[in-house]
Amino acid sequence: MSVPTPVELTEITTARPEAGAARGAAWRRLLRLRWGMAAAGVLLLIIAASVFAPFIAPHDPLAVDIRHRLSPPAWMDRGTPDHWLGTDPVGRDLLSRMIYGGRVSLVVGVTSVLLSASIGVLLGLGAGYFRGNTDWLIMTGINVMLTFPFVLLALAVIAVLGPSLVNMIIVLGVAGWPIYARVVRAETLALGERDFVVAGRALGMSHLRLIFRQIAPNLLSVIVVIATLQVAQVIVLESFLSFLGLGVQPPTPAWGNMLGEGRLYMLNSWWIATFPGLAIFVTTLAINLMGNALRDWLDPHLKL
Amino acid sequence: MRRYLARQVVQLVVVILGISLLAFGILHVLGDPVLLLLPQNAGKEEFERYRHLLGLDRPLYVQYWKFVSRAVLGDFGKSWYADTPAFKLVLERMPPTIYLTLCGLVVALLIALPLGTLAALRRHSWVDNLCTAVAVAGQAAPIFWLGIMMIIVFSVRLRLLPASGYDGWQNFLMPSFCLGAALAPITMRLVRSGVIEVMNMEFIKTARAKGLAESRVVTKHAFRNACIPVITVLGLQFGQLLGGAIITETVFAWPGVATLTVESIRNQDFPVVQCAVVLLALLIVAVNLIVDVIVGFIDPRIRAS
Amino acid sequence: MARLATLGPALLLAVALVTPADVLAQTKDDTIVYALQSDMQNWDPPNSVLRESIIMGYNVFDHLAARDLKTGKVGPSLALSWKSIDDSTWEVKLRSGVKFHDGAPFGAKDVKASFERVLNPENKLTARGNHAKIKSVEVVDDLTVRFKTDGPYPVFVERLTALVMQSEKVMKEKGHEWMQENPVGTGPYKLVKWNKKQEHLLVRNDDYWGPKPAFKYVRVRIIPEQATQIAELVSGGVDIIKAVPPDQMDVINKSGQARTTVSPILRTAMIQLDQAGRSGANPFQDKRVRQAANLAVDMDGIIKHVLNGLGDRTATTVNPMAFGFDPSIKPFKQDLAQAKKLLADAGFPNGLEVGFLRTQPTVEPGLVQTSDAITADLAKAGIRAKGRMVGEVGPFTNLIRDNKADPMFEFSWGYYSIFDADAIFFDVMTCNQPYSYYCNKALDDLVIQGRSTLDSKKRMELYAKAQKLVYDDAAYIFKWGLRGVWGVSNRIDYEAPRDEVDRMWAVTPRKK
Repeated sequence: MSVPTPVELTEITTARPEAGAARGAAWRRLLRLRWGMAAAGVLLLIIAASVFAPFIAPHDPLAVDIRHRLSPPAWMDRGTPDHWLGTDPVGRDLLSRMIYGGRVSLVVGVTSVLLSASIGVLLGLGAGYFRGNTDWLIMTGINVMLTFPFVLLALAVIAVLGPSLVNMIIVLGVAGWPIYARVVRAETLALGERDFVVAGRALGMSHLRLIFRQIAPNLLSVIVVIATLQVAQVIVLESFLSFLGLGVQPPTPAWGNMLGEGRLYMLNSWWIATFPGLAIFVTTLAINLMGNALRDWLDPHLKL
Repeated sequence: MRRYLARQVVQLVVVILGISLLAFGILHVLGDPVLLLLPQNAGKEEFERYRHLLGLDRPLYVQYWKFVSRAVLGDFGKSWYADTPAFKLVLERMPPTIYLTLCGLVVALLIALPLGTLAALRRHSWVDNLCTAVAVAGQAAPIFWLGIMMIIVFSVRLRLLPASGYDGWQNFLMPSFCLGAALAPITMRLVRSGVIEVMNMEFIKTARAKGLAESRVVTKHAFRNACIPVITVLGLQFGQLLGGAIITETVFAWPGVATLTVESIRNQDFPVVQCAVVLLALLIVAVNLIVDVIVGFIDPRIRAS
Repeated sequence: MARLATLGPALLLAVALVTPADVLAQTKDDTIVYALQSDMQNWDPPNSVLRESIIMGYNVFDHLAARDLKTGKVGPSLALSWKSIDDSTWEVKLRSGVKFHDGAPFGAKDVKASFERVLNPENKLTARGNHAKIKSVEVVDDLTVRFKTDGPYPVFVERLTALVMQSEKVMKEKGHEWMQENPVGTGPYKLVKWNKKQEHLLVRNDDYWGPKPAFKYVRVRIIPEQATQIAELVSGGVDIIKAVPPDQMDVINKSGQARTTVSPILRTAMIQLDQAGRSGANPFQDKRVRQAANLAVDMDGIIKHVLNGLGDRTATTVNPMAFGFDPSIKPFKQDLAQAKKLLADAGFPNGLEVGFLRTQPTVEPGLVQTSDAITADLAKAGIRAKGRMVGEVGPFTNLIRDNKADPMFEFSWGYYSIFDADAIFFDVMTCNQPYSYYCNKALDDLVIQGRSTLDSKKRMELYAKAQKLVYDDAAYIFKWGLRGVWGVSNRIDYEAPRDEVDRMWAVTPRKK
């Protein structure tokens, strides 16, 4: 289909903006960069917490203690400082589970995006460079996969493979490649006309060398921005699948399955679902802000 | 124009083939189809018979052919749980999903069109910044979280709306709003981009030069032409919308295809899952085609070629 | 663009006009709304093991006898009286003037047809085992039936409450397939519409022979999520919900819109251990390991903290309300040291790993939390149970039936609402039952004897022996008899039924 993806169309800056608008645009960019840096800071905190989880989590996230089940957060009455964010229906410490849950989200997010990016970039490069039938085949593949909503594809594959952390990474990784492929292909097609590539061919450089030494480095900024934004998408999707019970299985803590378990308790023990929900929101927001800022910083005139 | 349409149809056929391959691949290559497609209480002879029926002893392309030839006739096997044909089950649940998706689209547009246009016209102003900020925050909020909160506020605490069910128009309000609100941020940004692109075009400058009032410029010229990129993008959005509808349905226990699919996954009822995936994909393809045709009619550039 | 915008409201209108529930104009005042977590697979009660089928069966069909909830005794329903002619013959006199929903009169031929249909092995109906002791049914005259049993059958009367009476005419003229979706009974309500997996609509049978139901319509809504059920109850969308988890009771009671009602019920929970080796060789084939498992768990603590006290500890699988229950047997008390010692004796000084098949709490509230707590306790003794969750009841029960369960699996039994130890010993724990992973010839002998004598005193002794045997052998990890919690709207009067059967005809509007 001839329709551009949302990522591409989001901030089209065409033509020559008038002077006032240029100042306005610059101001916006600065603001976005500021927000982006703050977001990056928050993200760094989240990542650090996940990496150092065994050292900072106050309790074992799997330790069942039914005598202290459904304890409210420390600042409410009946809450204790022993469990800052309260406990879940079998007495496990919520804060510890949240910290460890972050690990799942980040691992799934980063791994599956790396997988998607690898597949997508390779295929995009191949399509844009070799053109002809290869291009047609890959373009069709892209169109077919883009037809399926991410969610639906994930559900279909989980149905067959069964719910687990690894399967989710595979599914999300394999389902996410079209976006990279499309953009990389477009850029590669454009770059392929450029002098240094033509010269390279004339000099007898091998395909591989041309692709990886000359073309690919120009694509880095595009790939990084798309990847960053996709991590957020994947994290939300992973939480949704876990929320349905089709992702990470309890007792392994994941923000999504904690939300799912906590749903029944929303009317009295609200903390069980609320904090994981907030975690998902904050993380996603931070990644989006950082991604937007990255896009501006790497190449403001990027048709992204 | 004719060439454009023809090209679209060819692409459509290719994409449909691709979908069938994908659906086939997922079930037949990733898993053991006999184990997945037969009810669990079937005996050993049933397994062997089915294996032969599906042609699993034959090469993959034969299996694929059998799958496609059956699917075209609407035979996706029988749901083991309900003992009815999978196709019938999925088809029955399509209308609620489609209605929800459309209502979600309406809500998304109601929010996104005015806000996006406003943001585009007052580009770089505080209005624009506010809209963008809200959009970014909105994009980060998980849909299912929003849905749960809405049920608590509007059903339990305020007792204004029903918590679930599919009886009347009141049941549509929360799910549509949830879905629409979830998609509004990105739609808004697309509308904004589309309007900006159009506003910068030559004919707008001409209209202004001719001395037309700004409001006329916006409504008569800009808006009509902005429709093109917006509609094109909305066409793609249908896939996203459906994805969002899938999530919304599960939160509101909506009797649509998504809840059927999730339930079938839990019940290990694969014929239904496979059928649902294929039919939904076909639906998206159909909508994309319709959108492309509409665009073909509206966009003078395409009409002329 | 504009076209799409007008399409939306048009569609909304279309939907509003075409929705199912307004086939007949029900109003809130004449309708009870009842929530179920999952839908039945058919409307043919003898052909289903689901509790939902039993409950709905009571509302659309009648049985020969019925339990009076206040006295707990079995009294007349479609049958007016019964007597045993000799050790293996019972004569039952039927009520006259009863009609099926299609107008056909009810008589002895229908009783004969209903029993024969269930007992015929070719029909493969799931309820066959429950009534297997009946050898033949003879029509004496239109209102009298004679049952011949395979030897003395002491639970005959109790089990009369467990088979619905279906129409012989329907069986002959319409056949099995039709009967799966079209129930024709003699009961207080008739089925009007069934939207599979969504809802059922029942309408009052105005020609009912018994007490007339107060509400004209019953809307049965299938709401799988418990959170949604509770939300609907407190917002007025639903009138009765069941199996409420104990830690959500305060939400309902504080809402001002609904309240909870509690009753001990026959349903008894346990964790089956694969002594018979049906899932393959496993550690639970050794009695010491089974005993260790029982000794590892602080069951009383779990009832107190997780169920808020809403459970009655059982020493075995026999419910305190069932005939034959022996209160002198004391349940296992937690003793981790002893548990570890037994494991070491059995050859597991460092503990062991074992699979644990689990499911979602459809009939047993708090199941996920109690099993989590049990898993944690078992781990303290060295038994590391790895949970495998199969959320849906259908696949879960099929795995058990097909020998594909894990060596440990969650299980509960509703006794088919028969208040007799036979209903669990025979139906579940004897060697050839599909859902029993315990097989002990000595137990089988006791159980067969127990159901072959009409002498109550002798039966009590036999069942006491059986319970001691099952206890000493630590057949399962024994848990508790459930206390059922129902959530009920404040606009109606309804008490929790101790046989787990929701009688829609007994619901009345609350007096102001």
